[in-house]
Amino acid sequence: MIMPITQVLAEVAPHFEGYVYPNESGTHPLWGVLIVLYPYITGLVAGAFIMASLVRVFQVKPLEPVYRLSLLTALAFLLCATLPLLCHLGHPERSYQIMITPHLTSPMAIFGFVYAWYLMAVLLLELWFDYRRDFVAWSEIETGWRRILYRTLALGMTDVSDKSVALDHKLSWIISIMGIPSAFLLHGYVGFIFGSIKANPWWGNAIMPIIFILSAMVSGIALCVFVYMVLCWLRRRAVDLRCLDMMGMYLFYALVIDATVEALDWIHRAYSAEEGFHVMEYMAQERLFYTLSIGQVLMGTLIPLLVLGTLQVARKYVPDIVRKRLYFTCGVFVLIGVLAMRWNVVMGGQFFSKSLRGVMSYKLEFAGAEGWLLGLVLLSLPFIILTVLIKLFLSERLPTEGHVPHRLEDPSI
Amino acid sequence: MNSSIPRRRILATFGGVFAGLLALPAARAVKKRLAKAPGAPRDYDPTKHKWLMCIDVDKCIGCGLCADACKTENHVPEAAHYFRTWIERYIIRKPAAGSATARGEVQVDSPNGGRGGFAPTLVPREEILKSFFVPKLCNLCEDSPCTQVCPVGATFDAPDGAVLIDPTYCIGCGFCIQACPYGCRFLSPVTKTAEKCTLCYHRITRGLKPACVETCPAQARVFGDLKNPVEDDPLQAFVRNNKVNTLKPHLGTNPRVLYANLDKEVR
Amino acid sequence: MRFFKLPPQISRLVLLIFAIVVSYLVARTLLTPASFRDRGFYRGAALTELASFTPVFAGKKALGERYPEILKTLAKGDHKTLSCEGCHGVVDQQQLKDPQSKMIKPTATLCLRCHTDNPSRPAWFKQIVLKDHYSDKCLECHLPHEPNETPPEPAEEATTKPAPEPAPAATKEAAPQGSPEAP
Repeated sequence: MIMPITQVLAEVAPHFEGYVYPNESGTHPLWGVLIVLYPYITGLVAGAFIMASLVRVFQVKPLEPVYRLSLLTALAFLLCATLPLLCHLGHPERSYQIMITPHLTSPMAIFGFVYAWYLMAVLLLELWFDYRRDFVAWSEIETGWRRILYRTLALGMTDVSDKSVALDHKLSWIISIMGIPSAFLLHGYVGFIFGSIKANPWWGNAIMPIIFILSAMVSGIALCVFVYMVLCWLRRRAVDLRCLDMMGMYLFYALVIDATVEALDWIHRAYSAEEGFHVMEYMAQERLFYTLSIGQVLMGTLIPLLVLGTLQVARKYVPDIVRKRLYFTCGVFVLIGVLAMRWNVVMGGQFFSKSLRGVMSYKLEFAGAEGWLLGLVLLSLPFIILTVLIKLFLSERLPTEGHVPHRLEDPSI
Repeated sequence: MNSSIPRRRILATFGGVFAGLLALPAARAVKKRLAKAPGAPRDYDPTKHKWLMCIDVDKCIGCGLCADACKTENHVPEAAHYFRTWIERYIIRKPAAGSATARGEVQVDSPNGGRGGFAPTLVPREEILKSFFVPKLCNLCEDSPCTQVCPVGATFDAPDGAVLIDPTYCIGCGFCIQACPYGCRFLSPVTKTAEKCTLCYHRITRGLKPACVETCPAQARVFGDLKNPVEDDPLQAFVRNNKVNTLKPHLGTNPRVLYANLDKEVR
Repeated sequence: MRFFKLPPQISRLVLLIFAIVVSYLVARTLLTPASFRDRGFYRGAALTELASFTPVFAGKKALGERYPEILKTLAKGDHKTLSCEGCHGVVDQQQLKDPQSKMIKPTATLCLRCHTDNPSRPAWFKQIVLKDHYSDKCLECHLPHEPNETPPEPAEEATTKPAPEPAPAATKEAAPQGSPEAP
């Protein structure tokens, strides 16, 4: 039963047009779905963190309801970020070598340290400073294993005086400022992994890390919109429309910048038409038609730009319920569009032969080590972790002074 | 907080850790001495050799014996997308009638990497302006992009000119395979590590020639030691007698493999 | 100690960071392979390991020591650049030492592999179109070790087919030139 489904979902039988190097002519690409997912997940982390920084560093008050939610979202996705890489490696049991003997000329080598730095020094610390007062308070209210959990998380401290809390806020602000370039580094180096490969003209240019960072911002904001609205819907709470409008605005402007830079990349390629451009053009039109023209451009860029742009201008003419639906749809479209963009970069670079003369057509399986199924599992795992985190740290029944999606006295829908 | 006893304990831990840190270099030195020093097979010293292979395109007859020999010698997987060396056939057609171009369309192919030779092309002989075979292999770059991007130091430039992969250390990330502009690397399905031409390292360190050089009937592959040229060294004769070219010179990889009589269409 | 007068957030965090960094450094020392960084940023022992595989092909030099007469004959003609194992197949070290073992005789298909007419081959290289050639049994008229000579006439009655002309004198291989013209 699974075989016919696999055939339908898989691409056409492997073949190539033109000439490809024999080592490129295999049935499967070297970097598959898992390597598409890794930049997607780290991009979501970076983008969600920037959302949180808008509150902490730039004091954007309307975004306060999503402050903790965006940090927890970033954490949930960051915890899963290494999994696609581990599953992809030929020898995952040797992966520790990246930390023990990192080859400093390799962008991939800084992965271990940037990841560890970002996880521990930025994300966990910022969360800790924000939650410390609550951990102490909750450890006194709760019982059983939750009590032990909150006590451990408070690192055994019990001081929640005003002076102590003020110090927390100051340190959190410092961490947040450090966190912005750290977020750019976390995702920028991924873009540089592709941008540094001069052997492959689809990947190797200076604008690649910039495009990755910008689309990461866009996807992170869209993810926060998505998660916030789903959470409110599950809890049957009213969405804070001022917050949603603000997120929509940031999403729009981030999308404008992202679309401009991506368009610049394309215009430059087409204008300078270096060797192999016509093969690239053919590949983009034939092999990448659905993911590029439909997924990335139409769904991921043009439609959200149009809708969000209209909303910026005509917001007061649009009824609340329609606006909410539009924001949600745009959020989902952008998420799909950025995933499509990652696909186009990773797979496009491999469809395009380094002989500059041919285009491969790889087959992607459903099951198996690099298949769709594993990809879907890895993509749903962060949401499962986020659910657990929300239950533990954004629980509605626990009192808190921090920024939460809804106050206990907020009306239900 | 009752600070005296916990404070002493913390200080003791601190002291212990500091002592441990100081002991690290000493431990490292002992470990090194205990481990076996790396040696060469018998009396081979990699710093006393600099191997190079060059290709004379006009001599290649496309028999494919080299590609077969390589797979046999190095136990390369049989499938048609794992090659340490392969041969490409270039067919440059005569310009289309009335097109006023110097040369016509270029067709390149490498069926099974050239193993077993090339079946006759379907292009009629009258339409062919020029046609030739080009053997390909690791270009032994001076500034290899593949070793630059390895995250763990598993692939490296050996002192004697070969670019090698440590199969027990490679994690199989595939970055080097993506970074090689010449397509000479692949991921072995058997070892799940990267694999490539090693210049038959196990042969040249014993005074033998690489398997492809050994089997080539036309002397299209010219192999030698730049630090120890022999009498009538073929490599010295090659560079003396030919104008040479390299593949993709604009990428700055500084490939050491020299090609004589290389046509502009070869990538 | 002034350190412990710092707010507990900072002091405890600093201790935690210190513990993490120290455990990383210890792990790094213990887990780095012994010969790493000996010759460069790689495991130095890998050079020895990669050099220690057993060669498969015996090589022309070793085979020449076993069959010196054949090597001398070969060196006189146009096939002097050929390797023994290219036609006779892999000869491993065991076979080489065994006085009883013989080389595999190659078939005509192997001759054709190189000598079949192909427009991509250089013009100086001798090629034939099999269906226009005298016979499909190469050994009737050619000696693989001495391609410039012909086999001696059989001692019995002459065959009906006249013996073809001996192969033309060896052409210089030093300067291959010319475009492929139709033969």
